[in-house]
Amino acid sequence: MRKGLRFLNNLIYLLVLFLFVFIPLYPKFPLLNVNGTFVAIRIEDLIIALTIGLWGLSVIFSGQIRNFLKNRLNQSLLLFFFIGLVSTFSAIFLTHTVTYGLGLLNFLRRVEFMMLLPVIIYAVNSKKRLFLILFALLFTVVTVDMYALGQKYLDWPVISTTNSEFAKGLILRLTPDARVNSTFAGHYDLAVFLAGVLVIFTPMFFAVRKRLKPIILVIGALSLLVLIMTAARLSFVAAFVGIISALIFSKKKKYILLLFISVFLILIYPSQLRDRFVSTITINIFHMGERYTGKTADQQARSKLNIPTLAIQTSSVSASTSTFASPSGGVATDITPGEPIDSTELGVFRSFEIRLNIEWPRAIRAFIKNPFLGTGYSSLGIATDNDFLRSLGEVGLLGSLALFLVIVEIGKKIVSYFNNENRFLRYFSVGVFSMLITFLINGLFIDVFEASKVASLFWMILGLNLSVINFNENIKRI
Amino acid sequence: MKKLYVGFCVLLLIYMIMPGPSQISDFKALPQSDKSTLAGDNIAQVSNVAAYFSDNYRKFVVDYYLGNYHQNTWLPFPPLKLNHPPEYSWLVIKKHTDSTYIEELVYPLRDSIYVNGFEPFYPDSTPKFWGSTRFVAETDIFFTKTTLRFYPSNIVVRIIVWFGIISSIYLLFRLGRKILK
Repeated sequence: MRKGLRFLNNLIYLLVLFLFVFIPLYPKFPLLNVNGTFVAIRIEDLIIALTIGLWGLSVIFSGQIRNFLKNRLNQSLLLFFFIGLVSTFSAIFLTHTVTYGLGLLNFLRRVEFMMLLPVIIYAVNSKKRLFLILFALLFTVVTVDMYALGQKYLDWPVISTTNSEFAKGLILRLTPDARVNSTFAGHYDLAVFLAGVLVIFTPMFFAVRKRLKPIILVIGALSLLVLIMTAARLSFVAAFVGIISALIFSKKKKYILLLFISVFLILIYPSQLRDRFVSTITINIFHMGERYTGKTADQQARSKLNIPTLAIQTSSVSASTSTFASPSGGVATDITPGEPIDSTELGVFRSFEIRLNIEWPRAIRAFIKNPFLGTGYSSLGIATDNDFLRSLGEVGLLGSLALFLVIVEIGKKIVSYFNNENRFLRYFSVGVFSMLITFLINGLFIDVFEASKVASLFWMILGLNLSVINFNENIKRI
Repeated sequence: MKKLYVGFCVLLLIYMIMPGPSQISDFKALPQSDKSTLAGDNIAQVSNVAAYFSDNYRKFVVDYYLGNYHQNTWLPFPPLKLNHPPEYSWLVIKKHTDSTYIEELVYPLRDSIYVNGFEPFYPDSTPKFWGSTRFVAETDIFFTKTTLRFYPSNIVVRIIVWFGIISSIYLLFRLGRKILK
C-alpha cells in the first residue's frame, strides 16, 4: 500500500511538473467545443482533471481525508465550491439565467483551477521538487518571451481566442500594429503572466546566489520588454505596484527610487504602451481629442439614436444604413459619432466604454437580481473585465465572501513566512505575496480568475509557496 | 447573534414562499390594447409569454406592470426594476424580438417578469428610424407593441435555495470568525 501511494505521489508530481510547463506553453487549441460558448475544452483540462483525480485517490487511500477536511484553507475552498453549487442550482432553476450545461461546466472550471492549490501542496514535498519546478518555470518564462519576440519579428504563428472565429484554433500572424500574445492566446493574459513573473523575480534576485543573479536579471529584462510590447496598461501598473510591494516587504526600499526612474524612462520612450497611457488620460479622464461627427444630414440624424447604425430617412428618395466612414478615409469604418478619430485613442476609448456601459452594469444588475447568490457562472457571458464585479454578479455576496476568505487564509499563511529565518523562503514568499497583490490589481479591469492559463498558474504558484510547509526546515539558498 | 440569524432565516423563508403569480395569465392585459395572436406571442410556442398592441408608451407600461405585479403578491413592497439593453430581448423573450426597451421587474429569490417594448414612433408620432410602421391589429392600428415574459419558480426550488443560503451564511460566519481573528 505504502509503495503504491509513493508511486501515486511521484506520478502526481510528474504531472504537476509537466503542467507547470505545458499550461503556459501549449497554445489554446480547442479539443471539444461546447454548445453556447466559444470557450472550448482543451487537452490541459483533461490532464488537470487526471491529476486532480489521482490526487483524490491518493487522499482517500492514504486515509488523509479527515486531515484534509480539518485544514482551514481546504474548508474555505470547499465552502466556496458549495456556494458555487448553490448559486448554479439557483441560476438554473430559480432565476433561469444559465443553462444546465454551461452553468455546470463553468462551475467545474472554477473547481479545476482552484483544486490545483491543494494538489501542488500535496505533490511538492521536498526542496528538490520545489527547485525543479522553479527551474522549469524559469525555462518556461524564457520560452514564452522568446516566442513573443518571434511573433513580432520572425512572423511566428499566433493562436488567439479573442473572438469566436479565432478561438477555433486558427493559425494567424501578427499584423503590424497588433500586440504580441506569445502562447497565451490574448495579450492581456500574457501581460498578467509577465507582471507576476517580474514581481516574483524582484525579491528572488536578492535571494539567489551571485552566479544566478545575471540570469534572473536578463530574463527579467526580457520579460519587461515583452510586457511593454503587450501595451497592457493595467498589468504594467500592477507590476509596478507589485514590485514596490516586493521591495518593501523584502526590506530593499532603497531600490524604489531606481524603479521610479526606470518606469519614467519606459514611459517617455515612444511605444504603444506610452501612447495608450497618454490616451487614457486625454480621452477617458479629460474627454479630450478630436471626435467623429456625422457629416451628412442622414449621419447627423442617425447619430442621435441609441443605435446609430439604424437607417433614417432624411430625404424622400433614400435611406442609408451605410457605415459612417469609408475605408479610404483613414478612419475606422465602424466608427460612430462621438468616438475619437485616432485609432489608438479609439481603441482606448472603446476598451473603457465597453466596461463602463455594458459589462459592469450587466454584473451590477445580476448582483441586484440575486444579491446572495448572483445569477450563476456563465450568466454574464465571456467577460466582465472586473473580477470583483464578476464575482458579485455570478455568485453574489456569499460566493464573493467565500473567495475572500480563501484569499485571506492564503495571504495569512504566506505572510507568516516573511519572518522565517530561511532567506530563500522569506524572499520567495514576499514575491508570491506581491504576485497576489498584482493579480488582484489586474482583477480590477481583467477577469484574471477566469483566464484559464493565468488562473491555473496563479493557484499553482500559491500552492508552490504553501507546499514549503512540508519541508520548511530543510530549505537552503540556491 | 443567534436570535438575529434565526429571525433573518424565518423572514427570508416567509418572503420566499409567500404566494404570488404563477403564470403569465395572472397578469392583467394592457389597457386599451389588442392581444397579439402572432406566432411566438402566445404560450403555445413560448412559455409564459404575452404580447399586446396599444398606444401605451414605456413609462405607462412599466409602471402599470409594476403595480400589477405588486398586487399579485402579498408583499408590502413593489418589485425591483432593472433596465436591460434592448438586445437582451433576444435572450429572455425570444429570438428576433424587436425592442426599443426592456425592463425587468424582479422580486429577488422569487420570480421576475420582463417587459419588452417596441416603439418605432416617438409619442408625437414622428418615426424614430426609416422603415417605422404602425401595427395593424384586429381592432385598430397601434403605435407600440409590448411583450411580456414571466419567469416563475417552483416553491420546492425556493426552499432548497433558502436552505443553501442560510447554511452558507452559517458556515461563512463560523469559518470567517476563525480566519479573520
